[in-house]
Amino acid sequence: MMVVCVHVPSYRVEVAVREWAGVCNASAILADKLERGHAIDATPSARRQGVRIGMTLVQAQAAAPDATILVHDTDRCTQVWEDVLDALDQASPLIDTDTQGTAYLNMHGNAGMPQDWIAQVRAALGEIELPFRLGAASNKFTARAAAIIADGTVCEPGEEGRLVAPLGIGLLEIEPDLIARLEMLGITTLGELAALPHGPFVRRFGSRAARWHHHAQGLDPTPFLPRAHQLQIQACLYGEGSVQSEEQVYFALRILVGRVHEDLARLGKRAALLHLQIECENGDLRDVPIRIAQPTADPGMLFDLGRANVEGLRFDSPITGLRLQAAQLESGGIPATLFSGSDPDPQTVELALARLESALGNTPARARLTAGNRLESKFAYDRFVGVPASPPAQARPALPAPGATAALAPPQLRLVKVHEIDVVMVHDLPAFVGSPPQAVLQFAGPWRTDETWFERRIARDEYDVLLEDGTLHRIFLQRRNWYVRGTYD
Amino acid sequence: MAVAAALSPHRKAFARLKAGLDARHQATLAERLTQADPTLLRTGFEALDQALGGGFVRGTIAVLEGESSSGRTAVAARLLAAGTAGGLAAVIDDGALYPPGLAAAGVRLERLLVMPAEDPLGAARAADILLRSHAFTIVLMPALKVKAALWARLAGLAHHAGALLFALGTEAGNELGYFSTARVRLRILKVHWTHASGPFSQLAGYEIQAEVVKNKRAAPGAGATISVRAA
Repeated sequence: MMVVCVHVPSYRVEVAVREWAGVCNASAILADKLERGHAIDATPSARRQGVRIGMTLVQAQAAAPDATILVHDTDRCTQVWEDVLDALDQASPLIDTDTQGTAYLNMHGNAGMPQDWIAQVRAALGEIELPFRLGAASNKFTARAAAIIADGTVCEPGEEGRLVAPLGIGLLEIEPDLIARLEMLGITTLGELAALPHGPFVRRFGSRAARWHHHAQGLDPTPFLPRAHQLQIQACLYGEGSVQSEEQVYFALRILVGRVHEDLARLGKRAALLHLQIECENGDLRDVPIRIAQPTADPGMLFDLGRANVEGLRFDSPITGLRLQAAQLESGGIPATLFSGSDPDPQTVELALARLESALGNTPARARLTAGNRLESKFAYDRFVGVPASPPAQARPALPAPGATAALAPPQLRLVKVHEIDVVMVHDLPAFVGSPPQAVLQFAGPWRTDETWFERRIARDEYDVLLEDGTLHRIFLQRRNWYVRGTYD
Repeated sequence: MAVAAALSPHRKAFARLKAGLDARHQATLAERLTQADPTLLRTGFEALDQALGGGFVRGTIAVLEGESSSGRTAVAARLLAAGTAGGLAAVIDDGALYPPGLAAAGVRLERLLVMPAEDPLGAARAADILLRSHAFTIVLMPALKVKAALWARLAGLAHHAGALLFALGTEAGNELGYFSTARVRLRILKVHWTHASGPFSQLAGYEIQAEVVKNKRAAPGAGATISVRAA
């Protein structure tokens, strides 16, 4: 058996650096979280500056002040690694991966020499921008060692022991304190460890030491376990002609949902995502992702969600085919939701969101406040996804108790489209506003808002004014012009 | 006569006790009604809740009317705060929404769906979808000038969903007025400032006169003065 190892040193930090390529320095520290976090990985540059895994972020920043702090994204790492494995399928269908960042390909049966296999694997990884290192050997451990020694290293059969001998014992999966103990005994390389007698070494360090001793000799008795291939559940429907009405599309969709449901039921799976592909007569291919809030195999719900997502779509030419694929499969039957309280069913919310999006073309949003900016951009909108968790009883804002004094009810500002207005100043104070002018009965302000947003400096003086017609407005002066921002209501 | 004169102080005392209990009963009647009735949604403004007979009725359409700067949004913010405390609420936004103000009023923004819709028919369609989902306890929308058939449809959906559909506008049209269960007209009586006019002053709040123009639950015509104050 010949194995090609694909290894990405510091995989997690490399993924994070690639995600934040625009803002990330050469020196980066990967943290588990921002608040009171710890360094879990670092780029070589940051390591040279003294950053070590396990340091608190304060310590790591003190060691490398110019390093960018990145937060580990588990889902993203998994997704990228799945993409890598899918790409490697082109080179060999037998792939063993135990940790993210290292994969082994069994090249048995592939034509060519090890150098050719490495070239094939490199070609399969062509579009993925990660610093891959490849190595080939007769077993997994030696192939990984070859990849670490230099990219493209090939270890001929029988040379394994000689190849790994100069490498440090850190290559073995041993705890740091044990490595320190071995180093105190004068064992720093795998060659020195391999020279030890097997029996006494295993008796001294336990059964795990047998594996270390084998590895040090360039042997790897662990079996090759190819990863399970992802289950593909999909159905397609291509007619000889093209559909003439919306109902025909829904009819076809219902048939496809029925087929997918049958497959899901047979395998005991639920889908968390559907991909609908719609092919048109002119060759256009439209991908419609159908989000499912709670994984389900219920055909009624799958059809309702599919229909809600298709309803608003417009096509330039008649539809000739549909393909429906179930993705993100989960095991199990009907999900049970415990402790949901009075929350609505997430599926019905997702259905309503899809219908809103289809009917109005706008994205239903959730308001979000952002800190640190005092202008209009102090709030933002995110896509409304799912039902947020109910707050624990003690965290809920208390509703006003009957008989209690009025609870907090601050005046509310209603925004208007910012437009210029006329303001007459008397003794540097606003006296008349608008056209025709309304006398200012009372005002509050100015409050200076001064910000530099990128390179454009924004400075304004804001006032609240009560006009003689009884209306209350928020106005502001910016660059000698007056604008109205909103009305209190 | 002597016996009657001897009992008189007791009767007086009993009458005083009864009057006290009656007064207490009257004061807490609306509160008890509200507490006992889960179909009502309280605004948190006690006087307004009493004027409405305990609060706004779920499963109906209610209208808050008033000119610009009349306090409609402040009252609506309180209702949204109540709605998001235990469920989801939705706002069909015509571009005037100011979320920081809502957050200050206790609205949980993560449980508030904002649907931008400037076109009246689009807003009505959004309300239709939101109510049909049965997922939202309160839906706030502008008081649109649309056909009576649309309001009839929305009233039916609100009834089936058990949701409160709130319309905010200057004045409810005939169609909306007909299908609404409660109409409250608001106007600001007095504006409060922290100091005299000038640079050290701040808007502290205002007093709102609320008049219940229509109410199918209690007699209309009741009024209330409510106070809106910043923290």
